[in-house]
Amino acid sequence: MFYDSFDAWWWPFVFIFLAGTLPTAIWRWLGVLLVGNIDDESEWLVFIRCIATGLVAAVIAQFVFFPTGALADAPLWLRLAAALTGFACFLVAGRRMIVGVITGEAVLLAGFLVVVS
Amino acid sequence: MFKYADAGGAIDGRYLFAKPIASEWVSLPAGTFMTCDNQAAPQSSNDSSGVYDWSWFPKGMANIASLPALVLLSAFVGFGGLAREADIPLSQLVFIIPSIWALPSHLVLVAGISVGASLLTVALGVAFAAIRMLPMTMALIPEIRTPRSRLWHLLAVCNLVAITAWVHTLQKAPEIPREGRLPYFAGFASTMAVATTTVAALVHQLSAAFPPILMAALYFMTPLYFATSIWNTARIRAEHWALVLGFVLGPFAWMVAPQANILLAGLGGGIIAYGARRLVMARGAD
Repeated sequence: MFYDSFDAWWWPFVFIFLAGTLPTAIWRWLGVLLVGNIDDESEWLVFIRCIATGLVAAVIAQFVFFPTGALADAPLWLRLAAALTGFACFLVAGRRMIVGVITGEAVLLAGFLVVVS
Repeated sequence: MFKYADAGGAIDGRYLFAKPIASEWVSLPAGTFMTCDNQAAPQSSNDSSGVYDWSWFPKGMANIASLPALVLLSAFVGFGGLAREADIPLSQLVFIIPSIWALPSHLVLVAGISVGASLLTVALGVAFAAIRMLPMTMALIPEIRTPRSRLWHLLAVCNLVAITAWVHTLQKAPEIPREGRLPYFAGFASTMAVATTTVAALVHQLSAAFPPILMAALYFMTPLYFATSIWNTARIRAEHWALVLGFVLGPFAWMVAPQANILLAGLGGGIIAYGARRLVMARGAD
Protein backbone atom coordinates (compact mmCIF):
# COMPACT_ATOMS: atom_id res chain seq x y z
CA MET A 1 0.00 0.00 0.00
CA PHE A 2 1.18 3.46 -0.88
CA TYR A 3 0.41 7.09 -0.09
CA ASP A 4 -1.50 7.42 -3.36
CA SER A 5 -3.05 3.91 -3.36
CA PHE A 6 -6.63 5.15 -2.89
CA ASP A 7 -8.19 8.23 -4.37
CA ALA A 8 -10.19 9.05 -1.25
CA TRP A 9 -9.80 12.17 0.91
CA TRP A 10 -9.34 10.10 4.05
CA TRP A 11 -6.66 7.72 2.77
CA PRO A 12 -3.65 10.05 3.24
CA PHE A 13 -4.70 10.54 6.87
CA VAL A 14 -4.94 6.78 7.41
CA PHE A 15 -1.54 6.40 5.73
CA ILE A 16 -0.01 9.09 7.98
CA PHE A 17 -1.53 7.47 11.06
CA LEU A 18 -0.30 3.96 10.22
CA ALA A 19 3.11 4.96 8.83
CA GLY A 20 3.90 7.89 11.13
CA THR A 21 1.78 8.21 14.26
CA LEU A 22 1.57 4.58 15.33
CA PRO A 23 5.27 3.64 14.84
CA THR A 24 6.28 6.69 16.92
CA ALA A 25 3.65 6.43 19.68
CA ILE A 26 4.18 2.71 20.24
CA TRP A 27 7.61 3.36 21.81
CA ARG A 28 6.14 5.89 24.24
CA TRP A 29 3.36 3.50 25.30
CA LEU A 30 5.89 0.70 25.67
CA GLY A 31 8.02 3.06 27.79
CA VAL A 32 5.11 3.75 30.16
CA LEU A 33 4.32 0.03 30.45
CA LEU A 34 7.93 -1.08 30.96
CA VAL A 35 8.89 1.56 33.49
CA GLY A 36 6.30 0.12 35.90
CA ASN A 37 7.30 0.83 39.46
CA ILE A 38 11.01 1.32 38.86
CA ASP A 39 12.37 3.38 41.70
CA ASP A 40 13.35 6.98 40.93
CA GLU A 41 16.89 6.37 42.12
CA SER A 42 17.26 2.92 40.57
CA GLU A 43 20.42 2.05 38.69
CA TRP A 44 18.18 0.84 35.86
CA LEU A 45 16.99 4.38 35.33
CA VAL A 46 20.57 5.63 35.16
CA PHE A 47 21.22 3.10 32.39
CA ILE A 48 18.03 4.14 30.58
CA ARG A 49 18.97 7.81 30.85
CA CYS A 50 22.39 7.05 29.38
CA ILE A 51 20.76 5.29 26.42
CA ALA A 52 18.27 8.13 25.92
CA THR A 53 21.06 10.72 26.08
CA GLY A 54 23.22 8.71 23.65
CA LEU A 55 20.35 8.47 21.16
CA VAL A 56 19.63 12.20 21.35
CA ALA A 57 23.36 12.89 20.91
CA ALA A 58 23.28 10.77 17.75
CA VAL A 59 20.37 12.90 16.50
CA ILE A 60 22.51 16.01 17.20
CA ALA A 61 25.37 14.44 15.21
CA GLN A 62 22.92 13.87 12.35
CA PHE A 63 22.15 17.60 12.25
CA VAL A 64 25.85 18.51 12.20
CA PHE A 65 27.34 15.78 10.00
CA PHE A 66 24.44 14.86 7.70
CA PRO A 67 22.05 17.80 7.58
CA THR A 68 19.19 18.26 5.15
CA GLY A 69 18.06 21.32 3.24
CA ALA A 70 19.89 24.66 3.31
CA LEU A 71 22.28 23.70 6.11
CA ALA A 72 23.84 21.15 3.75
CA ASP A 73 25.08 24.11 1.68
CA ALA A 74 27.52 24.94 4.46
CA PRO A 75 30.68 22.78 4.36
CA LEU A 76 31.20 20.16 7.05
CA TRP A 77 34.16 21.97 8.62
CA LEU A 78 32.02 25.09 9.08
CA ARG A 79 29.14 23.19 10.69
CA LEU A 80 31.56 21.38 12.97
CA ALA A 81 33.47 24.57 13.83
CA ALA A 82 30.22 26.40 14.60
CA ALA A 83 28.91 23.57 16.78
CA LEU A 84 32.16 23.14 18.71
CA THR A 85 32.66 26.90 19.17
CA GLY A 86 29.10 27.30 20.40
CA PHE A 87 29.47 24.43 22.84
CA ALA A 88 32.87 25.65 24.10
CA CYS A 89 31.49 29.17 24.68
CA PHE A 90 28.50 27.63 26.48
CA LEU A 91 30.85 25.80 28.88
CA VAL A 92 33.13 28.80 29.39
CA ALA A 93 30.18 31.12 30.05
CA GLY A 94 29.02 29.03 32.99
CA ARG A 95 26.73 26.69 31.02
CA ARG A 96 24.46 29.42 29.71
CA MET A 97 22.54 27.96 26.77
CA ILE A 98 21.80 31.32 25.16
CA VAL A 99 25.56 31.99 24.88
CA GLY A 100 26.12 28.65 23.15
CA VAL A 101 23.27 29.19 20.69
CA ILE A 102 24.29 32.77 19.82
CA THR A 103 28.02 32.11 19.36
CA GLY A 104 27.37 28.93 17.39
CA GLU A 105 24.95 30.79 15.12
CA ALA A 106 27.40 33.70 14.74
CA VAL A 107 30.19 31.40 13.53
CA LEU A 108 27.82 29.62 11.15
CA LEU A 109 26.42 32.85 9.69
CA ALA A 110 29.85 34.48 9.33
CA GLY A 111 31.24 31.38 7.62
CA PHE A 112 28.14 31.05 5.47
CA LEU A 113 28.48 34.63 4.23
CA VAL A 114 32.18 34.18 3.42
CA VAL A 115 32.18 30.67 1.99
CA VAL A 116 28.78 30.09 0.42
CA SER A 117 27.54 33.51 -0.63
CA MET B 1 17.99 15.38 -0.34
CA PHE B 2 17.08 14.48 3.20
CA LYS B 3 19.43 12.08 4.84
CA TYR B 4 16.64 10.86 7.06
CA ALA B 5 15.15 9.39 3.91
CA ASP B 6 17.80 6.71 4.16
CA ALA B 7 16.07 5.24 7.16
CA GLY B 8 12.87 5.05 5.14
CA GLY B 9 14.29 2.44 2.83
CA ALA B 10 15.77 0.34 5.52
CA ILE B 11 14.70 -3.19 6.18
CA ASP B 12 17.97 -4.33 7.52
CA GLY B 13 18.97 -7.22 9.71
CA ARG B 14 21.31 -5.00 11.65
CA TYR B 15 18.34 -3.38 13.35
CA LEU B 16 17.59 -6.68 14.98
CA PHE B 17 20.44 -6.23 17.40
CA ALA B 18 18.11 -3.98 19.37
CA LYS B 19 16.21 -7.08 20.47
CA PRO B 20 18.46 -8.38 23.24
CA ILE B 21 18.04 -5.05 25.02
CA ALA B 22 14.27 -5.34 24.84
CA SER B 23 14.28 -8.89 26.14
CA GLU B 24 16.48 -7.86 29.03
CA TRP B 25 13.84 -5.36 30.00
CA VAL B 26 11.19 -8.01 29.67
CA SER B 27 13.07 -10.18 32.15
CA LEU B 28 12.97 -7.55 34.88
CA PRO B 29 11.98 -8.95 38.27
CA ALA B 30 8.33 -9.59 39.00
CA GLY B 31 6.66 -6.55 40.41
CA THR B 32 8.40 -4.21 38.02
CA PHE B 33 5.32 -4.29 35.88
CA MET B 34 2.95 -3.32 38.61
CA THR B 35 1.49 -0.04 37.57
CA CYS B 36 0.59 2.88 39.72
CA ASP B 37 -2.99 1.71 39.53
CA ASN B 38 -2.26 -0.96 42.09
CA GLN B 39 -1.21 1.62 44.61
CA ALA B 40 -4.17 3.85 43.92
CA ALA B 41 -6.69 1.02 43.93
CA PRO B 42 -7.82 1.21 47.57
CA GLN B 43 -8.84 4.82 47.05
CA SER B 44 -11.97 5.95 45.29
CA SER B 45 -11.30 5.22 41.65
CA ASN B 46 -13.17 8.21 40.27
CA ASP B 47 -11.68 10.75 42.59
CA SER B 48 -8.82 12.21 40.64
CA SER B 49 -9.06 15.62 42.28
CA GLY B 50 -5.92 16.45 44.14
CA VAL B 51 -3.75 14.00 42.21
CA TYR B 52 -2.28 16.89 40.26
CA ASP B 53 -1.84 20.58 40.88
CA TRP B 54 -3.18 22.06 37.64
CA SER B 55 -2.00 25.54 38.51
CA TRP B 56 1.29 24.33 36.99
CA PHE B 57 -0.34 23.81 33.60
CA PRO B 58 -0.39 27.55 32.73
CA LYS B 59 3.14 27.85 34.14
CA GLY B 60 4.19 25.24 31.59
CA MET B 61 2.29 27.10 28.88
CA ALA B 62 4.17 30.30 29.76
CA ASN B 63 7.33 28.71 28.36
CA ILE B 64 6.09 29.69 24.92
CA ALA B 65 8.27 32.78 25.52
CA SER B 66 11.56 31.00 26.15
CA LEU B 67 14.71 29.90 24.39
CA PRO B 68 13.58 26.27 23.91
CA ALA B 69 10.30 27.46 22.40
CA LEU B 70 12.10 29.82 20.04
CA VAL B 71 14.41 27.03 18.89
CA LEU B 72 11.59 24.55 18.36
CA LEU B 73 9.49 27.10 16.44
CA SER B 74 12.52 27.77 14.23
CA ALA B 75 12.83 24.08 13.46
CA PHE B 76 9.17 23.95 12.42
CA VAL B 77 9.58 26.96 10.16
CA GLY B 78 11.97 24.68 8.30
CA PHE B 79 9.57 21.75 8.40
CA GLY B 80 6.69 23.84 7.01
CA GLY B 81 8.85 24.74 4.02
CA LEU B 82 9.94 21.13 3.58
CA ALA B 83 6.35 19.88 3.61
CA ARG B 84 5.39 22.41 0.96
CA GLU B 85 8.29 21.33 -1.26
CA ALA B 86 7.09 17.73 -0.84
CA ASP B 87 3.54 18.76 -1.94
CA ILE B 88 1.95 17.79 1.37
CA PRO B 89 -1.42 19.60 1.55
CA LEU B 90 -2.07 21.94 4.46
CA SER B 91 -4.74 19.71 6.04
CA GLN B 92 -2.33 16.79 6.19
CA LEU B 93 0.49 18.95 7.55
CA VAL B 94 -1.78 20.09 10.36
CA PHE B 95 -2.53 16.42 11.13
CA ILE B 96 1.07 15.20 10.82
CA ILE B 97 2.67 17.58 13.32
CA PRO B 98 0.70 17.06 16.55
CA SER B 99 -0.33 13.44 15.88
CA ILE B 100 3.29 12.29 15.53
CA TRP B 101 5.02 15.01 17.56
CA ALA B 102 8.66 14.03 16.92
CA LEU B 103 10.67 15.93 14.34
CA PRO B 104 12.85 13.04 13.11
CA SER B 105 9.69 10.97 12.56
CA HIS B 106 8.14 13.91 10.69
CA LEU B 107 11.18 14.10 8.42
CA VAL B 108 11.24 10.36 7.70
CA LEU B 109 7.50 10.32 6.94
CA VAL B 110 7.60 13.30 4.57
CA ALA B 111 10.72 11.99 2.84
CA GLY B 112 9.05 8.58 2.47
CA ILE B 113 5.90 10.11 0.99
CA SER B 114 7.87 12.27 -1.44
CA VAL B 115 9.83 9.31 -2.81
CA GLY B 116 6.68 7.15 -3.02
CA ALA B 117 7.81 4.49 -0.54
CA SER B 118 5.34 1.82 0.60
CA LEU B 119 3.43 2.08 3.88
CA LEU B 120 5.43 -0.71 5.48
CA THR B 121 8.77 0.81 4.46
CA VAL B 122 7.84 4.24 5.80
CA ALA B 123 6.41 2.76 9.01
CA LEU B 124 9.63 0.80 9.64
CA GLY B 125 11.76 3.87 8.93
CA VAL B 126 9.70 5.98 11.34
CA ALA B 127 9.78 3.24 13.98
CA PHE B 128 13.58 3.05 13.87
CA ALA B 129 13.88 6.84 13.94
CA ALA B 130 11.63 6.94 17.02
CA ILE B 131 13.23 4.24 19.19
CA ARG B 132 14.70 6.91 21.46
CA MET B 133 11.11 7.58 22.64
CA LEU B 134 11.28 4.35 24.69
CA PRO B 135 14.17 5.31 27.01
CA MET B 136 13.10 8.96 26.97
CA THR B 137 9.62 8.07 28.21
CA MET B 138 11.05 5.65 30.77
CA ALA B 139 13.29 8.42 32.10
CA LEU B 140 10.52 11.02 32.28
CA ILE B 141 7.63 9.05 33.77
CA PRO B 142 9.21 8.42 37.21
CA GLU B 143 9.85 12.17 37.42
CA ILE B 144 6.32 13.34 36.64
CA ARG B 145 4.03 10.69 38.10
CA THR B 146 2.60 10.83 41.58
CA PRO B 147 1.76 7.84 43.77
CA ARG B 148 -1.88 8.36 42.73
CA SER B 149 -1.27 8.65 38.99
CA ARG B 150 -3.37 6.21 36.99
CA LEU B 151 -1.90 4.24 34.12
CA TRP B 152 -4.18 5.96 31.60
CA HIS B 153 -2.96 9.40 32.71
CA LEU B 154 0.56 8.37 31.81
CA LEU B 155 -0.44 6.65 28.55
CA ALA B 156 -2.19 9.87 27.55
CA VAL B 157 0.51 12.33 28.51
CA CYS B 158 3.38 10.24 27.09
CA ASN B 159 2.15 11.09 23.58
CA LEU B 160 3.62 14.55 24.17
CA VAL B 161 7.14 13.22 24.85
CA ALA B 162 9.65 14.79 22.44
CA ILE B 163 13.14 16.11 23.02
CA THR B 164 12.45 19.80 23.78
CA ALA B 165 9.73 19.49 26.43
CA TRP B 166 11.32 16.31 27.76
CA VAL B 167 14.71 17.85 28.48
CA HIS B 168 13.16 21.05 29.82
CA THR B 169 10.86 19.19 32.21
CA LEU B 170 13.66 16.90 33.43
CA GLN B 171 15.68 20.02 34.17
CA LYS B 172 12.87 21.84 36.00
CA ALA B 173 11.35 18.84 37.80
CA PRO B 174 13.39 19.18 41.02
CA GLU B 175 12.01 22.72 41.47
CA ILE B 176 8.38 21.69 40.94
CA PRO B 177 6.23 19.88 43.53
CA ARG B 178 5.49 16.36 42.34
CA GLU B 179 1.78 17.11 41.82
CA GLY B 180 2.66 19.94 39.47
CA ARG B 181 5.12 18.15 37.21
CA LEU B 182 2.74 16.30 34.89
CA PRO B 183 0.56 19.41 34.40
CA TYR B 184 3.68 21.52 33.81
CA PHE B 185 4.98 19.09 31.18
CA ALA B 186 1.56 18.78 29.53
CA GLY B 187 1.08 22.55 29.51
CA PHE B 188 4.43 23.22 27.88
CA ALA B 189 4.32 20.36 25.36
CA SER B 190 0.72 20.88 24.25
CA THR B 191 1.24 24.62 23.83
CA MET B 192 4.33 23.94 21.74
CA ALA B 193 2.40 21.42 19.62
CA VAL B 194 -0.25 24.04 18.84
CA ALA B 195 2.30 26.82 18.26
CA THR B 196 4.61 24.79 16.01
CA THR B 197 1.66 23.50 13.97
CA THR B 198 0.46 27.08 13.50
CA VAL B 199 3.90 28.33 12.49
CA ALA B 200 4.49 25.45 10.06
CA ALA B 201 1.01 26.01 8.54
CA LEU B 202 1.75 29.72 8.03
CA VAL B 203 5.10 28.97 6.38
CA HIS B 204 3.40 26.33 4.23
CA GLN B 205 0.99 28.97 2.94
CA LEU B 206 3.67 31.58 2.24
CA SER B 207 4.41 31.87 -1.42
CA ALA B 208 7.94 33.23 -1.11
CA ALA B 209 10.71 30.90 -0.02
CA PHE B 210 13.06 31.93 2.76
CA PRO B 211 16.68 32.73 1.82
CA PRO B 212 18.92 29.65 2.32
CA ILE B 213 21.13 31.38 4.88
CA LEU B 214 18.11 32.05 7.11
CA MET B 215 16.89 28.47 6.77
CA ALA B 216 20.36 27.17 7.61
CA ALA B 217 20.56 29.39 10.69
CA LEU B 218 17.08 28.35 11.89
CA TYR B 219 17.88 24.70 11.35
CA PHE B 220 21.21 24.96 13.16
CA MET B 221 19.60 26.22 16.38
CA THR B 222 18.22 22.74 17.05
CA PRO B 223 21.54 20.87 17.52
CA LEU B 224 23.02 23.78 19.51
CA TYR B 225 20.02 23.86 21.82
CA PHE B 226 19.75 20.07 22.22
CA ALA B 227 23.44 19.73 23.07
CA THR B 228 23.55 22.55 25.63
CA SER B 229 20.22 21.78 27.29
CA ILE B 230 20.96 18.09 27.65
CA TRP B 231 24.37 18.90 29.09
CA ASN B 232 22.67 21.07 31.72
CA THR B 233 20.01 18.49 32.49
CA ALA B 234 22.43 15.63 33.11
CA ARG B 235 22.60 14.70 36.79
CA ILE B 236 25.50 12.29 36.64
CA ARG B 237 28.76 12.30 34.73
CA ALA B 238 27.84 9.25 32.67
CA GLU B 239 25.15 11.28 30.91
CA HIS B 240 27.79 13.79 29.83
CA TRP B 241 29.90 10.92 28.53
CA ALA B 242 26.88 9.52 26.67
CA LEU B 243 26.28 12.90 25.05
CA VAL B 244 29.88 13.21 23.85
CA LEU B 245 30.14 9.56 22.76
CA GLY B 246 26.81 9.52 20.91
CA PHE B 247 27.91 12.62 18.99
CA VAL B 248 31.42 11.37 18.20
CA LEU B 249 30.19 7.90 17.19
CA GLY B 250 27.56 9.40 14.86
CA PRO B 251 29.71 9.75 11.73
CA PHE B 252 31.55 6.47 12.39
CA ALA B 253 28.26 4.60 12.76
CA TRP B 254 27.20 6.14 9.46
CA MET B 255 30.24 4.56 7.77
CA VAL B 256 29.31 1.16 9.21
CA ALA B 257 25.53 1.28 8.79
CA PRO B 258 24.26 4.46 7.11
CA GLN B 259 20.65 3.39 7.56
CA ALA B 260 20.90 2.66 11.25
CA ASN B 261 23.57 5.14 12.28
CA ILE B 262 21.50 6.98 14.91
CA LEU B 263 20.49 3.74 16.58
CA LEU B 264 24.02 2.34 16.46
CA ALA B 265 25.76 5.49 17.70
CA GLY B 266 23.12 6.21 20.32
CA LEU B 267 23.04 2.70 21.82
CA GLY B 268 26.83 2.44 21.54
CA GLY B 269 27.42 5.79 23.21
CA GLY B 270 24.89 5.13 25.96
CA ILE B 271 26.15 1.62 26.72
CA ILE B 272 29.83 2.64 26.76
CA ALA B 273 29.05 5.63 29.00
CA TYR B 274 27.13 3.42 31.41
CA GLY B 275 29.89 0.81 31.34
CA ALA B 276 32.42 3.52 32.19
CA ARG B 277 30.24 4.55 35.13
CA ARG B 278 30.25 0.99 36.46
CA LEU B 279 34.02 0.81 36.08
CA VAL B 280 34.48 4.06 37.97
CA MET B 281 32.03 2.95 40.66
CA ALA B 282 33.83 -0.38 41.01
CA ARG B 283 37.01 1.53 41.74
CA GLY B 284 35.13 3.62 44.26
CA ALA B 285 36.10 6.88 42.62
CA ASP B 286 32.63 8.25 41.86
